[in-house]
Amino acid sequence: MTRVSENSQTHALQFALNKAKRKLEDLQIQGSTLKKMTKPSDDPVGNIEVLTLSSRTSDNQQYMRNIQYATMNLNIVEQSLDQLTEVMNKAKELAIQQASDFYDPEIRAGVATEVKQLRNHAMSVANKRVGQKYIFAGYNTLQQPFNQDGTYNGDKGHITLEVSKDFFIPINLHGEEVFYVNDDTSAASPHPLNRFKDMKSSPNHNVQEGDETLDQVDLEEKGRDLASVQEKGEFKQRTNIFSVLDSLVAAMENNDTDLIQDLLPRIDKIASRLITLRAKIGSVTNSIESARNNLEVEDISAMERKSTIADADIAKLFSDIQREQAILQTTYKSGQNLINTTLLDFLR
Amino acid sequence: MADILNIGKSGLMASKKSLETTGHNIANSNTEGYSRQRVMQTTNPPIVKYGNIEGTGTRIRSIERVHDENIEKRLNKTITDNANYKETAEQLGQVEDIYNEIENDGLNKVLNKFYNSFRELANQPENETIRSVVRDQASLVVKDFKRINGTLEQLSIGIDNRIKAQIVDVNQLTRSIADLNKKIAYLEAVGDQTGDLRDERDARVRDLSENFKVNTYVDGKGSFNVSAVGIGTLVSGGYHQELVASPVGKAESSNRMAGSIEIYLKDKPGRAITEKFTGGKLDALVTVRNDSINKLRTNTDTIAHEFIQTVNAVHRRGYVSRPIQADAEGIMPLYDDKGPVTGIDFFRTPASVEGAAANIMLSDEVRSDLSNIATALKPNSAGDNRVAVAISKLQHERVMAGGTATLEESYLQTIGNIGLETNKARIDAEQSQGILAQIKGVKERVSGVSIDEETANMVRYQHAYEASAKVMQAADEMFSTVLNIKR
Repeated sequence: MTRVSENSQTHALQFALNKAKRKLEDLQIQGSTLKKMTKPSDDPVGNIEVLTLSSRTSDNQQYMRNIQYATMNLNIVEQSLDQLTEVMNKAKELAIQQASDFYDPEIRAGVATEVKQLRNHAMSVANKRVGQKYIFAGYNTLQQPFNQDGTYNGDKGHITLEVSKDFFIPINLHGEEVFYVNDDTSAASPHPLNRFKDMKSSPNHNVQEGDETLDQVDLEEKGRDLASVQEKGEFKQRTNIFSVLDSLVAAMENNDTDLIQDLLPRIDKIASRLITLRAKIGSVTNSIESARNNLEVEDISAMERKSTIADADIAKLFSDIQREQAILQTTYKSGQNLINTTLLDFLR
Repeated sequence: MADILNIGKSGLMASKKSLETTGHNIANSNTEGYSRQRVMQTTNPPIVKYGNIEGTGTRIRSIERVHDENIEKRLNKTITDNANYKETAEQLGQVEDIYNEIENDGLNKVLNKFYNSFRELANQPENETIRSVVRDQASLVVKDFKRINGTLEQLSIGIDNRIKAQIVDVNQLTRSIADLNKKIAYLEAVGDQTGDLRDERDARVRDLSENFKVNTYVDGKGSFNVSAVGIGTLVSGGYHQELVASPVGKAESSNRMAGSIEIYLKDKPGRAITEKFTGGKLDALVTVRNDSINKLRTNTDTIAHEFIQTVNAVHRRGYVSRPIQADAEGIMPLYDDKGPVTGIDFFRTPASVEGAAANIMLSDEVRSDLSNIATALKPNSAGDNRVAVAISKLQHERVMAGGTATLEESYLQTIGNIGLETNKARIDAEQSQGILAQIKGVKERVSGVSIDEETANMVRYQHAYEASAKVMQAADEMFSTVLNIKR
């Protein structure tokens, strides 16, 4: 038979009390924080997942801000294109009117001032600013992109933003592709990490010098050297929106209906290009929309997952607390009988 | 008839002694480490008289303490384990607090905000306010690297202080064990009972067991020896070996920290025994300091170094955001009146991986002028955000562990490891606490005082005393009867 001594009794009681109390304390901390975890060791794996999810959520918040910013920019570009289309339509209307011999030179000269107004309007759109930024200047956003004579000072930069992880979208059109005839028809916008070959997220990661893809990048870079483009591109310069409008003014002032006739297809070409650009912007806006939806869905599921890992299950928590309290009470009760009586009580 | 008186007297004496022992037991029922004592009573040697063997009463042969050496050894071992796990859990609990990001922002969130501030800057590279936000976020990253590194060093120093205090404790214990050895040897030589002193010595050995794994044995000459497993004999009979804890320089330290404490034997000051302890608090303290904290410091340095290098590598390719005047030939200058226009470090380049976290700071250029935060890959392009985008994308670059993990993944792995380690230590501590309670119970069941038992004994001895007295009274009456015959 096992011997029982006073100390072994109290040790056992103390141990039981301590255990019950510690459990209750843990539960009470959970109850006051409503979190299952208060330190990493409570759930090491869950903690990591929660941290990863928090990072992702805060990334997503930033992507959301990027989306708002991109949407705003694209809307402004879209509006500007809309205005330009209107200008070109008006110009075309006037050109068609004046291409026939029906009107006399005085009226044409009068209409010419109207076309001049259209040109001014186009110019104001071309030099449009949002805040301090010129929207059609490529990367060179703080410098006025178009001189009064229609020469372009900006570059061919496409500003891209990351609107969800690894998904970059362009948020601007540069002046050349809007106002000049665009011979570069590729709708793809360059990846912002093109030039960071040593980064793994760069599309040119591990691409060697002289490789085709890289040559393209270099070409594009050279293309930004606008001085040479302008010098060699006499033809281009004459076919930009401003030169077409200038020619129209000149033709009207000179009463040159043949020239006006000649200008019509060019105006058409510009108008159709503007429509293509608007379609491009529209498709970018659409892809942003779907990115936004994805982010929202991802956010909700991240929240859900986080809550399952980190938040205390209140119903379970309270039933646990109740159970532990019952255990503690029982321990007290049994202890009371155990340590309060000795043989002496009965030896009177 | 004198026999009867003597027999009665021996019973009286024995009962008195037994009652004394019972009293001693009850008085010490709450004394820590007390083993109950038991009176070993035996009959006096009988004598042969007229061919009969006659009893001559009783005597107390000895008073023994009820004690089981095997239980004592198991208890010591459990104490060693428990102290080890508890100390480990306590120290690691402090370490994991550094990485606790559940309630407040830690390095992970700060780094995330840093990358996202560059993402925000990529939206509007022209915006001066966002530039200053970027710089503020970078300062927070700097601060947090320093916080982690600093706190780790603080903890290391805290552990050093604990080690110093423990060593003082150990020396006191070994000295008092040696003293007790001397006293016990002396008293036992003159035939005295030494139960209480042995209890005291056992208690000291138990206290010593908290510090490291202790081995006790009695050698051929009968002297009691105490040795620390992995170190050697610390007490042999009346002699003891002291331990010395002294600070050393960085080169000699076992955790590459200047001024950290190493432990030596007093007789062999040349050889550090810091890492040789097995089990107990000292092993726990040294392991947490030299393994866990040391590893974390290296880890933090590596992360800081990689972070600085990657950000700098991208940032250096960018151009400052202020207008740069090309010279007559159209060539961009490398410097303007505000300093270099490209090739600028964002953070000051660290001299080595070691100390990268402690010495991280913004470069002078970035600190002095916001326009030195490069966002553009092309000079004079206020709207060019490619460098900012590239820096923000470093968040997803696998640059750590040989290109298999991002900074975040690597850092989270660190947190995961420390969490798992702490978790394991805590579970171990809890379990060993249970085992300790159990073995303490076993010991108390054997050696502990039971008031009920002592009460019953008391009644028993009291009765024996009374009866023995009655025997003497009877003898006295018999004497009187005999003496009254003549009257």
